[in-house]
Amino acid sequence: MDKLSTLIDRGLSRRKFLAGAGASAGTIAALNLAGCGGTATMTSTPPTQTFTDADILNFALNLEYLEAQFYLYAATGSGLASYDITAGSASPYQVTGTVTKGEAAAVPGLTSAQQQILNEIAFEEQAHVRFLRSALGSAAIPMPNIDLSFFGPLAVAANITTAATGAGSFNPFSSFDYFLVGAFIFEDVGVTAYSGAAPLISPAGVAAGYLTAAAGIMAVEAYHAGYVRTSLTGRAIAAGSAAAYPYLGAANLVEDLRATLTVGDSGAPSTASSVETLLALPASLTSPSSIVAASASSAVGFARTVDQVLHIVYGSPTVGVKSGGFFPNGVNSIFATTTA
Amino acid sequence: MANQETQILDDIVATSRRKMLTFGLSSLAGLVVGASAPLAKAATAYTDADILNFALNLEYLEANFYYLAAFGTTIDKANTASTGAGAPLITLSGTVGTAGTVSGGSKVPFTTIPVASYAIETAVEEGKHVQLLLSALGSAAVAQPAINLGTSFQTLATAAQIPGGSTFSPYASDATFLVGAYVFEDVGVTAYHGAAPLLTSSANLMTAAGIMAVEAYHAGLIRTTINYLDPTGAGIGAYTNLISTLRAALSQAGLLGVAPGSYDANPDDFGLATFSVSLGGDVNATATRLTDADSTNVIAFARNTTQVLNIVTGGGAVMGTTHISPATGVFFPAGMNAGPNGFK
Repeated sequence: MDKLSTLIDRGLSRRKFLAGAGASAGTIAALNLAGCGGTATMTSTPPTQTFTDADILNFALNLEYLEAQFYLYAATGSGLASYDITAGSASPYQVTGTVTKGEAAAVPGLTSAQQQILNEIAFEEQAHVRFLRSALGSAAIPMPNIDLSFFGPLAVAANITTAATGAGSFNPFSSFDYFLVGAFIFEDVGVTAYSGAAPLISPAGVAAGYLTAAAGIMAVEAYHAGYVRTSLTGRAIAAGSAAAYPYLGAANLVEDLRATLTVGDSGAPSTASSVETLLALPASLTSPSSIVAASASSAVGFARTVDQVLHIVYGSPTVGVKSGGFFPNGVNSIFATTTA
Repeated sequence: MANQETQILDDIVATSRRKMLTFGLSSLAGLVVGASAPLAKAATAYTDADILNFALNLEYLEANFYYLAAFGTTIDKANTASTGAGAPLITLSGTVGTAGTVSGGSKVPFTTIPVASYAIETAVEEGKHVQLLLSALGSAAVAQPAINLGTSFQTLATAAQIPGGSTFSPYASDATFLVGAYVFEDVGVTAYHGAAPLLTSSANLMTAAGIMAVEAYHAGLIRTTINYLDPTGAGIGAYTNLISTLRAALSQAGLLGVAPGSYDANPDDFGLATFSVSLGGDVNATATRLTDADSTNVIAFARNTTQVLNIVTGGGAVMGTTHISPATGVFFPAGMNAGPNGFK
């Protein structure tokens, strides 16, 4: 497979686009932001940017670093190897970041079967980091600073409190059930991020196989999301009620927060203007579950723009934000600043 | 997303025809080689509509399976169960090709809420996929072909060497239903994955990617549930390995002797048997295989149309190194329906 840097050298993949353009237009974003009490500092027009396929894959690499660190810590108590996080020689970002661990640790009390599942997801996200780094070659960004202590503030923002859920303070490294809620934060977002980014890949990138690779990674994220949603649903059914299994409700509170942060498509989950589908607790043999996150009308999976993904990982609906949340110094990307 | 969907028809109409040979993608490997082999079809122009019609054949198959299992009816006949679940009643408006009938299949006597509720959800979603593709394709949509959802499973189960395969029924119990569903979902992912890069319209690409994600959610659901019910692989978990081995063999034959592309490693299918991984620096661990993807890059597999056809027809698409069209057998006893330049 060609290295992306080769493609860039050929000058084949540079083109213009409106930052944040994709599933939704800037005007819609502005309306919805006003509606959800957002900021008054909207820029009237998103800036025009030039970007390459390497920029798209590097944006994805930021997200994969985050996911891999989360799952590796949950599975083993430590993170990516030092050789998996360094900068490519041609990257404009040369500082290798660090992980603020917070409460990150191997999840205790797992059954053998549960441990094997954590191992699998950790391995697979690590493989995505390695694949993207290999495909990018010298253009690969280093890992940015990652803050795994952000789960606490995120839980507060999502109103996942002991009073609201009856499950004790939120710590995804404290139990298998809270791990599932932590994983839930990422997986549906990963699906929508790749789905939204795939059409941005240039014709040269498509010919080089990057669209196929992006679609294939998206599918793996959807397998993971299917796993997490199935597990939360199945354990709630086994517990017998939403009250007996508060983690399902906690996951839906995460969805509410993600929906609010999906600037431009920030309607309530499971409504027409949202890219979120709430989990359900099937009560009988004739009730449907709600494993799949997809459009209610056509059962097509959702997409998010780069900007919408940034709002979620930064934990902010505000325009012009370039860091925060899981990325205290921002992502290593030309897309690092929110544009709507 | 709604705007995107309504654009599809316009995009199909506007999409210009083009040659397969302009694409060097791995997913086309089997088809591209045909240009230098005795395969006149390989240089034929095809359209986005041909690709979406290929997907529609697969969705007819999946939707009818889940409707029968969950509701005891086919997609074009409502009953109390399907109506109660909000499953769309499909008007079989496709006219291209030869309309056939659906044989076999019956409502599963579900005993557990998780499996029953998953069956209902999946039926509704696959029904919506049929509805979406029919709507998008309009008068270009293919008719529902003859579909065998009865004896086809015994044929496949026997070929896969599942114990008692000659009497295997996916409609017998919660567990056998999951095995039946397992036959389809990973294949759906690979089919959309192979097809997506061939689409010329970005709206169609977005939709195909979105449906592909849903198929992967379903596949993750099925694999997770089987793993939960049989974590040691003593029963239905072992069947997944047998089915994946059979699918990989049929898929490989569909390559017609050509080396697979970058993301088409062989075998291109894994059941739920655990495997060894190295985490972080050098922590060796045992992992489940809830994701059906290669072990190095962990990118889901892609298959070209011949590979997919060879799986769903149980080897009907290939004779030695020759591509047979139309491919017939197993789930599609009279073959798929397709336009003049389509895939069957």
